[in-house]
Amino acid sequence: MRLIGHLCQICQKEERIIILRLQWYLLVLLLQNTRALVCAASSLQSQVLTTQMPLGVLLTNRHYRSMPTHGIGKYRHLLPKALPKKKKERVQAKQIKAATATEFGVFNVCVSGYDMTLVEHYSQYIHNLCNHLDIRVDESCALPTKSTEVMVMQEQGTKMYVDAVLKTHERIVQISEMKATLFPIFMEVILKNQPEGVRLCLKQHTEADYQARFKTRPELEGLLAKINN
Amino acid sequence: MAAPFTRVYRPLWRIITTTILNKGVRNFSSTRQQWSALNVKTAAVASPWALHGAVCLQRLPLVSQNRSPIEEEFMELMHQMELERSLLSDHELRLLEDAARMSRKQEEDYDSDEEEEDYRDKEIVTAQDLEDIWEQKLKQFHPALRLQGVDEKGVSSSERCLAESLILLVKKDVGSQKLWLLPQTQWQTGETLRQTAERALASLPGADLKATFLGNAPCGFYKYKYPKDFQKEGSVGAKVFFFKAVLSSHKHLPLENNSFAWVKKDELQDFLKPEYLKQVRRFIMAL
Repeated sequence: MRLIGHLCQICQKEERIIILRLQWYLLVLLLQNTRALVCAASSLQSQVLTTQMPLGVLLTNRHYRSMPTHGIGKYRHLLPKALPKKKKERVQAKQIKAATATEFGVFNVCVSGYDMTLVEHYSQYIHNLCNHLDIRVDESCALPTKSTEVMVMQEQGTKMYVDAVLKTHERIVQISEMKATLFPIFMEVILKNQPEGVRLCLKQHTEADYQARFKTRPELEGLLAKINN
Repeated sequence: MAAPFTRVYRPLWRIITTTILNKGVRNFSSTRQQWSALNVKTAAVASPWALHGAVCLQRLPLVSQNRSPIEEEFMELMHQMELERSLLSDHELRLLEDAARMSRKQEEDYDSDEEEEDYRDKEIVTAQDLEDIWEQKLKQFHPALRLQGVDEKGVSSSERCLAESLILLVKKDVGSQKLWLLPQTQWQTGETLRQTAERALASLPGADLKATFLGNAPCGFYKYKYPKDFQKEGSVGAKVFFFKAVLSSHKHLPLENNSFAWVKKDELQDFLKPEYLKQVRRFIMAL
């Protein structure tokens, strides 16, 4: 009787072990399936947007996406975003703002002279002063250098010969929307700091000034003339 | 470029052309005139303060300021550094080539055929000759003097202290006393305050001063009350608005000694009353 009882106990134990094992297998399977299902769901979402995949593929038991090393070699997301190359747009002429009762319109401060270091340093000084006083500077550019030949008449004779070549350098600082109350102070500062040998000129900015900076295109003009004629 | 000598070129003139800008500015003043005229018509009660427009006329510096010892040393140091870092210019290269050619010519085994095509048996103007010609020309050039030989202490000349800016002061009868003031006149109805200031400048006796006004906005303000015996029912005192102007023409007319003065900012305290000086100092820049 005891033997049978033992046997029965052993049987019960084994049964329990077997039951537990079965339960464990079920759990694992369930977990694997759910993980696979989750991966499948996300891949479904992405794949529905991109390609049409037959359903048989989703239900396979491929584990690579659930592997912890999935996507280990990815680097594209670390590189900076390379924007598509923008083609250089044609430079449009900016609208010249008109003057109001309290503000000046657009005007140019032209600095010119023979000594390039003085001219450049003075124009840089004006630009820095504007930045410091919160005055808007639209542009700060240079006009082409003009060469002047100084010709001297020979003492005995009528021929002239070249004595020297003087180069006039010119820099422009374009200012817009300057308050009329600030203007006298600004003018006084730049007048008092004007170096010797440098000419200062303030002009209203016009369309003609803007166009003067461009080079003429003789072939284009010739063709246009031909078309018109 | 490191040249063996530097040509000193310092013209003492400067041209300020603000003609086109002035046109723009005049547009502003005409609109302002209408505004002020309207205001006066609608104002029922005149204010008890008389309005005056004054002008702060400045003669800008003509010459750069003298350098302090530290600045001199630094400038020399920078020049030296620039010289040492620079490359030889075309002229200097030519000098060296000519010197080398001369030394080659002096040698005993000189073969003129070995010389380059251009320099064989030709009379060339060497770079040294050019340099000598230029030095001669430089000796003939005399730059203008930094000091014009005018008495620096006497305040009546506008040629004194060329390195600093000077302000015009005028001696005027105010009430019973003679005071040194910036030129001013009373404001009349129908004109802008800037026009008052221009009139004040033009009405100075014996002086033909051409000035450019910098803008329509006044730069300073001074208020004073009349002494008790002068105060009537309508008038309590006067308000003076200052406008900045820059002297543009240099007519060396002999101004009367006792009524005009060109002073620097630090000399103002010898001439002006303390209260007046305090307000005037605020808008005069000593740069």
